[in-house]
Amino acid sequence: MNFFVPFCIPFIVGAVAMFITLAWKWGLWLYRLPRADKKRIVCGLPTRATLDAAGEVVCESLLHRRIFRVNPLLGYMHMSLAFGWFLLIAVGWAETIAYVGFRWVPLQGHVFFRYFATGLPHKPVFAFIMDLLLLFVLSGVALAWGKRFFSKRMGMRRTTRHVLGDRIALSALWFIFPARLIAESTTCALYEGGGFLTGTIGAWMGEHISTMTLLTLESVAWWFYSSCLGIFFVALPFSRYMHIFTEIPLIFLRRYRLRSDEKESSYDRFQVDACSRCGICIDPCQLQSVLGVDNVQSVYFLRDRRYGMLRAEVADNCLLCGRCAQRCPVQIDLNTLRINSRDRLHNIPAERRYDYLKGVDRSSGTGKVGYFAGCMTLLTPRTLVAMERIFHAAGEEVWWADRDGSVCCGRPLKLAGETDAACKMREYNTELFRKHGITTLVTSCPICLKVFREDYALDGIEVLHHSQYIFRLIQSGRLAIERGAGQFTYHDPCELGRGSGIYDEPRAVIEAIGLLLEPVDTRENALCCGSSVANTAITDGQQLQIARSVTAELEATGAGTIVTACPLCKKALGRGAVHAEVRDLSEIVADAVSK
Amino acid sequence: MKRVIIIGGGPAGMQTALCLVRRGIEPVIVECENELGGKLRNWHVLFPTFTPASDVLTELRRKVRENRIGVHLSTSVETFTDRQATLSDGRVLTCDAVVVATGFTLFDARIKEEYGYGIYDKVITSADLERLFNEGRVVQAAGEHPRRIAFLHCVGSRDEKVCQQHCSRVCCVTGVKQAIEMRRLFPEADVFNFYMDIRMFGPGYEELYREAQQRYGIHFVRGRISEAAPTHDNRLQIKAEDTLTGRPLRMSVDLLVLLVGMRANDQNAAWAADNGLNQAPSGFLQPKDLFLGNVRSGVEGIFYAGTVTAPKTIGETVNEATAAADAVADYLTTKA
Repeated sequence: MNFFVPFCIPFIVGAVAMFITLAWKWGLWLYRLPRADKKRIVCGLPTRATLDAAGEVVCESLLHRRIFRVNPLLGYMHMSLAFGWFLLIAVGWAETIAYVGFRWVPLQGHVFFRYFATGLPHKPVFAFIMDLLLLFVLSGVALAWGKRFFSKRMGMRRTTRHVLGDRIALSALWFIFPARLIAESTTCALYEGGGFLTGTIGAWMGEHISTMTLLTLESVAWWFYSSCLGIFFVALPFSRYMHIFTEIPLIFLRRYRLRSDEKESSYDRFQVDACSRCGICIDPCQLQSVLGVDNVQSVYFLRDRRYGMLRAEVADNCLLCGRCAQRCPVQIDLNTLRINSRDRLHNIPAERRYDYLKGVDRSSGTGKVGYFAGCMTLLTPRTLVAMERIFHAAGEEVWWADRDGSVCCGRPLKLAGETDAACKMREYNTELFRKHGITTLVTSCPICLKVFREDYALDGIEVLHHSQYIFRLIQSGRLAIERGAGQFTYHDPCELGRGSGIYDEPRAVIEAIGLLLEPVDTRENALCCGSSVANTAITDGQQLQIARSVTAELEATGAGTIVTACPLCKKALGRGAVHAEVRDLSEIVADAVSK
Repeated sequence: MKRVIIIGGGPAGMQTALCLVRRGIEPVIVECENELGGKLRNWHVLFPTFTPASDVLTELRRKVRENRIGVHLSTSVETFTDRQATLSDGRVLTCDAVVVATGFTLFDARIKEEYGYGIYDKVITSADLERLFNEGRVVQAAGEHPRRIAFLHCVGSRDEKVCQQHCSRVCCVTGVKQAIEMRRLFPEADVFNFYMDIRMFGPGYEELYREAQQRYGIHFVRGRISEAAPTHDNRLQIKAEDTLTGRPLRMSVDLLVLLVGMRANDQNAAWAADNGLNQAPSGFLQPKDLFLGNVRSGVEGIFYAGTVTAPKTIGETVNEATAAADAVADYLTTKA
């Protein structure tokens, strides 16, 4: 058996083109990785991380476990296509071995084995398994078709609008398996064999169609099947289907602790190309659901970035709330990628604007505990006054970092892409904190908190959000609270919740004061207030629209007071609220302090 | 006799009623407060002439009384159409036309938390200052010998951040007037006005502005205050930018007066929805057109008078009330 017939050509050409492109792309991306990243890979290879990554590849790239959490039907669709196809290939391989023993068989010999195996003795077990797997994949294709029309049933209100290249690849993919079914069935009609699916259809064809027609049909069907494969493979590295192969190295690299940062790096390419454009990120986006902005979501951002068509209007129009990243089945670090795109678009290198910061120190007081209110807290002084009362009640000696004016923490600049300027702020504040010898740094602003924790080198200084600090005071008995009859609902600030993983402390504090009523979307799924400093594109009116939709949900709990723990959220919700009062956590604590 | 319901018993409502009576039409004023006068009741003196607000108010109230105009006090209108109004006490009044003269709502300065209103007692609003003048308690608020007093213009006006994009018109000249009053009361104090633009549109306003600078030495700084914070000696520290010199500045003051703007009543939305009335993006009710239909709503039998359609001065309001009465009379004659 020589395992070659002319219809194999489209497939062979496609497969060769695909593997060359893949090797070239991956090679280039790996080669361009920073030295430190390469070192991480080499050091990580012989460790547990490799095993864990392999496990994750099976769970995610094949089984699509995370998509099951979004919607079981959607998960099944993705799994049947990925895992089903994988099994078809793997079992197909085993089938070839079972038929011809251990000998070298070219690629097309495995893929089109049913065509070549007609002269060999029939093995019904393999025929059955292969038919079952084909049916498994076909059910996925059917669901994919169905999703076009009934996406809501599959947990998606809106689906991705695809570009032409994706549509071609998508059409080829959808035809591959029906084409395979017809091709194999026709061969079964002529030469018998096949399982419950191809065998049955083949028998029916044999009865109703003349042999001459069947011969022509067989040739056409195999040519068509091979062409679909060929087109799909050629299109794959340039379309959304690049994710099939890219997610695998991404998982490994992530396990080896490679991360995206505020400057673009070669590792980003693995993340960007690992996006399957499944569109799961569209529904959670409030710019979409409230404002109807439908071309800036992560799927479109990554697509534009990948093809080099990213415009500032798209990169800048994002709240960086992280609701999409939280749902992303590939766990792409969407916020960081957005930030480093903005860096490329907006950063001004060698920034000298801030030279005047040298030597400025407006801080006051002394103490091991430092308090950094943050710019937004200074603009919402009720929080500041409340913190003063709390510190006083707890008898804490406080070093006030910025009560009389401050230098920004730098995060708003970083979020806007001005990362070099942000760096100046970080350097200034780090030096200031070190100079005053504090051991704990408390801030009322989650934006400051996140940057202090992630981008500042503050070894030896514990950084706490005021909700955590207050919680500790209450727990240790330093702050006595009187529980009242108030009913509160809590809005999770993005930077505090999804951004820093602080969900429980603010809730525990509220529960010490009164009754806590949870809104529909809470904790990891909490909505964004809409006034994020990260979005420089939407108008105030649009911010207000989002704030109104969020406060409507919070007010629906029936609570008289909306509590939040971010000065920006407080300001945003304050103008969206109709009945409820909007207050910072510290304000309700200060009011409840036992006299 | 034709009957017209006037919703609101401020200057606009009272003047409309007086003009209607003269034309042989029966006006009925429905006022939610327990006396006539609207926001004018709390005002001290009026710009640009420093005429006591009570002069205007007393005159209008006297005429209303003399003409025996029907007034329902402490009563609000729940819903209305051009033919009837349902009152808060459950009564239903029938009529031949309705004039909406419900005025405006003062911007709540607590929303601009950065200025510290409601947090620090050295921060008051322009409306508070008028009241303090009436009660003779200004010294109590500003201290015996204030060194500096600051006025901040455009609080809740021309401010996208609080969704009030319109200009409230009267605050500029109110700021000038109040600055002069403070300077007269505290000749030793420096008085600062922080503004974005100074809009002196009325007769005598520009002259008053010039007088404030030349005769009273009041300082005008182009730039908004960004935040206010208390100091250790119980004063206020304000931060601003002088946008003419391009320099940030900070100063301690003894009193910060916020010139709060006029915003649309929340009620407008529901009434507009009930009757098919138009609401401007600012929230104020939108007249039929701004030239020949200023007091008409575009809906048969419903008319507007005063600041329910936009911020106006007392003089403009009273004039518009006369025009509204004229339009109502015209409408009732044509209908009959």
